Amino acid sequence: MEHPILKAKTARTVKFYFEDKELEALEGETIAAALIANGIDVFGESEHGRPRGFFCAIGKCSSCLMVVDGEPNVRVCITLVKEGMRVQRQLGRSDVA
Amino acid sequence: MMKTQLLVVGGGPAGLCGAIEASRYGVETLIVDEGVELGGQLVKQTHKFFGHEGFFASVRGFEIARRLKNQLNHHVKVMLQTTVVGIYEDVVVLYNREKDRTFEVQADYILLATGASERFIQFENNHLPGVYGAGAVQTLMNQFMVLPGKRFLMVGSGNIGLIVSYQLLQAGAEVAAIVEIADRVGGYDVHLRKIKRFGVPVLLRHTIKKALGEEKVTGAVVVQVDEKFRPIGGTEREFAVDVICIAAGLTPSVELAAMANVKIEYVPELGGFVPYRDQNMRTNVENIFIAGDLAGIEEATTAMIEGRIAGLTIAQSVVGVDVSKEIEALQNELVEFRSGPFSEKVRKGLSRFFPQRTVEFSRQPQIDKGPVGKLRPIIECYENIPCNPCQTSCPAGAIEVPGNINSLPRIDYEKCTGCGICVSKCPGLAIFMVQENVEPGFDLVVIPYEMVPLPEKDERVIALDREGKEVCEAQVVKVLRFPDMTNLIYLKVPAGYSERVRNFRTLKRGNVLVCRCEEVTLEEVERAIELGFTDYEELRRYLRVGMGMCGGRTCRSTVLSILSQKLGKSPGELLKGRFRPPVMPVKFESILRGETNED
Repeated sequence: MEHPILKAKTARTVKFYFEDKELEALEGETIAAALIANGIDVFGESEHGRPRGFFCAIGKCSSCLMVVDGEPNVRVCITLVKEGMRVQRQLGRSDVA
Repeated sequence: MMKTQLLVVGGGPAGLCGAIEASRYGVETLIVDEGVELGGQLVKQTHKFFGHEGFFASVRGFEIARRLKNQLNHHVKVMLQTTVVGIYEDVVVLYNREKDRTFEVQADYILLATGASERFIQFENNHLPGVYGAGAVQTLMNQFMVLPGKRFLMVGSGNIGLIVSYQLLQAGAEVAAIVEIADRVGGYDVHLRKIKRFGVPVLLRHTIKKALGEEKVTGAVVVQVDEKFRPIGGTEREFAVDVICIAAGLTPSVELAAMANVKIEYVPELGGFVPYRDQNMRTNVENIFIAGDLAGIEEATTAMIEGRIAGLTIAQSVVGVDVSKEIEALQNELVEFRSGPFSEKVRKGLSRFFPQRTVEFSRQPQIDKGPVGKLRPIIECYENIPCNPCQTSCPAGAIEVPGNINSLPRIDYEKCTGCGICVSKCPGLAIFMVQENVEPGFDLVVIPYEMVPLPEKDERVIALDREGKEVCEAQVVKVLRFPDMTNLIYLKVPAGYSERVRNFRTLKRGNVLVCRCEEVTLEEVERAIELGFTDYEELRRYLRVGMGMCGGRTCRSTVLSILSQKLGKSPGELLKGRFRPPVMPVKFESILRGETNED
């Protein structure tokens, strides 16, 4: 995006997967920012089936928990996206072992 | 087990400044921060800071973060993506996400600068994706340059709500409205004016009742409230928005302080539960210090000063140097920064811990509007906020903020040269310039502008007033660019309008096409006609309008009718341009086949 104050990011692009769909991200982006950039803002479902987004983006609210490379409860707003990473919506407290 | 003389928890403005001061005296320091880069919330602050030169006034937040990082020396180690998970009597436990392991640290001193978290408020469907803290939206758009939506509703009009609204406009988003439950705006008047002149509505005594949507936010219901903040039935209004931003204040992150046996007190004026500390930022636990928002919700400049005081006090204990003079000077800075009316709450809160002093300042605004006809600044700064870059940036010494930075600025129009530097430097974008009768029938207005695209010289624009309402047409006569991105736009307006015009919008309609094949816009056609291309053939050669695959069948009549309107001639009077073969493109191959295969 064109911005009056900030310079456009020029980082290398990396590929990652959201629910088996291949997406692009910029190196240095958090997973949350990469998902938002791809138009995805529903990050999971609460235990009671409510769709869940995130609230604070700085690692405090813990609403952004997702399953990353098979591991549940990853705070994606402060975790950097990496090449080949597999990101999935977390359902409830997640049953992934 | 790692050992360090000082452990700083949180690498934001307070923590960084603490580390800078302590390490300056050789204290071995470890900074631990959860984020992916140092700087805390400074990295997403794209606005210029208030204050004075000693503390980065008129410098943008992300730039302050960069400068602070550069001040760290070799005594400082940094661990990012690392959370302090617990403070025990004999050890501090860290968890590093990259290495996915815990570490144990023993520290002689700990400076807690853990900051604050955003308040969540209660309304129906507040769980829906699309409900964000205002700070979260700021992180996404300014640190990572992604927008979580197109149309935003801002709930809360404190400085964060106002600043983020303005920054949303800068990022190209739409702000449907700002709602404020109180009967007055919470933040600075200068921040309010910045968004009002773009026409963003501010609804006082309103709050959000409900988020609309199933899977994510598709709208919001806003309701008026009575004097006890109870919703008034029948006043509900719906806004079609895809993001609801909550700017309802911050709460200090006291967890670590509490588990380290620091006394936690409830001081609503400081943001709720806050740790006890003295004037040197020392808590009731001898070797534990705090600074920044954790010590009371305020802003980044005071956080930096508190961090420095803590760092120096720790250096004094560790190294045995006497830095009491430096500490005292910084304490006096805090007194000055907190003397204004906006710090009344903070002063009241802090007086629970130690007595508060204030300094006197002038509340006398500039009354003289200067000599009519001279190019001169008009300073629209009416609140006593601690800030003086107008004074320090003026090369002619024409602006004075008398006594201390809380006073209102005064200008000596005799000395002023009309250079415009103060207009660009003012962090509140509250200085404009005017000049009456620059030419017969016209005045000049100079506007500080931080949006894209920048208008071009000679461009015609629609002038807006302080409320964002259209008042007249205007012409851009000069664009003065500044390296810090607050550019000045010189507008020629009809005589008498220089007092009213404070903003403009461009007439650019980038997506209105006339010629579909060659993608020529209405604006390009109109501009070309204004430049003197007044017949169809000329326009065709200049813009390629009508030269595409359709051969002008779609656009020729449109161009002729625009010409007719612009020139005030009937279409019959205009030259309609030549018609040449081929009427539709024919391949050379087909023509050759026609030439050679005679049948």
